[in-house]
Amino acid sequence: MLIAILVSPHARDGANIFLQAGNLTDVLRQMSVVGIIALAMTYVILTAGIDLSVGSTLALGTSLVAMFVVRPGPENLFLHAALAVAIAAGASAVVGVVNGVTISALRIPPFIVTLASMIGIRGLAKWLTNNENIDIGFGSDAAARFADFVNSKMVILGTFALLALVFWVVLERTVFGRYVRAIGDNEKAGRYTGLPIRRIKIWVYALAGLLTGIAGVLYAAENHQGNPNAGVAYELDAIAAVVIGGASLAGGSGSIGGTVIGTLIMGILTNILRLKNVDSNVEMMVKAVIIVLAVAIQKSGKRA
Amino acid sequence: MEPLLRIEHANKHYEGTRALDDVSFSVLPGEVHALMGENGAGKSTLSKIIAGAVLADSADIYWQGARIEIASPIAAQRLGIGIVFQELDIFPNLSIAENIVIGNLQMERSSYVNWKELIAFSKRFLEEVGLAANPRTRVGDLRTGERQLVAIARALSFDARLILMDEPTSSLPEDAVERLFTLIRRLKANGVSIVYVSHKMKEILQIADRVTVLRDGATIGTRRAQDTTIEEIITMMVGRELAARPERLANEPGEILLQVEHLTTEKIKNISFDVRRGEVLGIAGLVGAGRSELGAALFGLDRMQSGTIRLGGREIVPKSPRAALEAGLGLLPEDRKMEGLMMQMSVRENTTMASLGRFQSLGFLNSRTELEASEPVHRRMRLKAASDTIDVGSLSGGNQQKVLFSKWLLANPKVLFLDDPTRGIDIGAKQDIYGIVAELAAEGKGILFVSSELPELLENCHRILVLCEGRCTGILDARSATQEQIMSLATTHATTHATTQETAA
Repeated sequence: MLIAILVSPHARDGANIFLQAGNLTDVLRQMSVVGIIALAMTYVILTAGIDLSVGSTLALGTSLVAMFVVRPGPENLFLHAALAVAIAAGASAVVGVVNGVTISALRIPPFIVTLASMIGIRGLAKWLTNNENIDIGFGSDAAARFADFVNSKMVILGTFALLALVFWVVLERTVFGRYVRAIGDNEKAGRYTGLPIRRIKIWVYALAGLLTGIAGVLYAAENHQGNPNAGVAYELDAIAAVVIGGASLAGGSGSIGGTVIGTLIMGILTNILRLKNVDSNVEMMVKAVIIVLAVAIQKSGKRA
Repeated sequence: MEPLLRIEHANKHYEGTRALDDVSFSVLPGEVHALMGENGAGKSTLSKIIAGAVLADSADIYWQGARIEIASPIAAQRLGIGIVFQELDIFPNLSIAENIVIGNLQMERSSYVNWKELIAFSKRFLEEVGLAANPRTRVGDLRTGERQLVAIARALSFDARLILMDEPTSSLPEDAVERLFTLIRRLKANGVSIVYVSHKMKEILQIADRVTVLRDGATIGTRRAQDTTIEEIITMMVGRELAARPERLANEPGEILLQVEHLTTEKIKNISFDVRRGEVLGIAGLVGAGRSELGAALFGLDRMQSGTIRLGGREIVPKSPRAALEAGLGLLPEDRKMEGLMMQMSVRENTTMASLGRFQSLGFLNSRTELEASEPVHRRMRLKAASDTIDVGSLSGGNQQKVLFSKWLLANPKVLFLDDPTRGIDIGAKQDIYGIVAELAAEGKGILFVSSELPELLENCHRILVLCEGRCTGILDARSATQEQIMSLATTHATTHATTQETAA
């Protein structure tokens, strides 16, 4: 954060662009979609799992919400929008449940299962949309009004903040959260303690699907379209945010606070590099270095 | 005759425990030398030192009279020491031929694999050990006995003068044992020495020339096999120092609490016993006898094939650990690191892990009641921890064990299966645990107490159930039983026992 302020370019009047209120909320809005996915990814990674399918599920979510919001639906605008959101979020949650059931019932490693659904769900999204974007438009019809409403900074930031709070409380204060950390720390000991391991795992992947679906709705509103090609490599951004936030892919360690910070670091980094007009290819290279550095610093801290 | 290998004054410590204490051991050329002792007597430490897998703190080692060091497994191999270990360190996905030459110092002239040469080379040694398999076969597809032959062929391929065999017959069927013995005799005739580590008395007297017995990390003595008896070896293994038993268990057991009949899983066969209210039933047996597997069957970890379990008169079917827990059974696992504790979680979180249902409402945890419930348990266990929010991983072994114990005290099952609860912990913590076991018994719980240390069982149990090779070979009254009796039951061949049982029935 401090580095961001220092290296930020200055506007003509000498003000620090990075610190301008508009820019700060822009940073937050840009990272909200990945940030929301990263919240659920934190749970998955805490259980020593991984979910590679979230990028494709995001595409499914954006496509579904756009498809249903542009269709004629109930007269009531609220009901119409709520139905579209529910379908998108619900379908995404189902993807998560399928992942979770496959992982825990068939005992196939999460990497393999979610790799398969990453491919399959991308295909499903493209098939449903004939591989075409579904434009929501900018008019005054129901769909456009819905997108404009959701695309406000308040709704997007509010959603991220609310979900972060809920996920934090659940992880720190509930039996479910305690079990999530426990089975990631030592699944075998969890079995020897009689923990409901299958159920917890299914829930964790279901939540990953659900939150990705919600992120998909935000994504569709921001871009005023449903896009079956959206979200490519978002799973990696989400994993990066969680790992920068101090989680271990071996499971058992990680926190929602850490993930939010990890998301902010990624967001701020992107923002600064763009303010500085750094080439987007160079941006990727810088990000790569930051990820490794962040984890290396944590490792040395833990050892000390 | 000059010994091939002579070890003198070998010492080794592991985290405060003395694994080897001034041990001496020698092997003559062309000799089969058996190494015996109870679990934890120091056999595996000594064999690992010979194999170069473990370095002694101090030792004088002589190879054909010359002073040497065995600094690594490769150094051992260079000397001509081959190993056939219990865990069979073999690469299951590679072929037989590749397993034979892997790490063979004479073969690695080129980085490329010359398959023709490889096959021809390995065939020679496969013939020598009498394994008629295609050298291209994946080792993972072989049976245990055949894999063992591959390991022996590997040792021969680098011209081993000494082959170390750790429990080579533990997973072999009868006929494979016979074939192995024939091979051992042939190797012996060719001047190869064998160090043979085993628990099985009869086998050892059948194959060994000399027997060395270790106890508590010290050499008790070496005997010529033809001049000794099973009884003498058992006496050497368990020792004679039978001090007066402290009267810990004051209570008399009440009515039957847990009744197990004909319990059978893949690992244990037809085990029947009962545990009374307030009774501590010891479970004795050598490694692999089925002690932990009995716990796994009761606690729903292994699938029951047949048999019945009654708890308080009601039949229970522990399909999963959760079901067992709900029925009133608890299991304190043998390996606290792998099976017991969440090392990155706090002392308190670990303590309440099996009973969170009591500290929640609508899924939300109440950290105050959690604290109020766990503190008295920690006090009772005499847990020494800086605070109950520190990671369990930062505690000593004894205190970790106390946290694990606390978890089960809090879960409060009717019957608690303790799988070697004092393994690898200091004397003070052991005494604390004995005290708690006696208290739980006095409260009317049923306790099953597994231990590898016979004096511990004799002192802390009412009765002792002895297992051998997955079967129950006897139940003794701890007040009148002797270590020799237990050891003799624990090494009774299950096959002979089964026949006598059948004739009796």
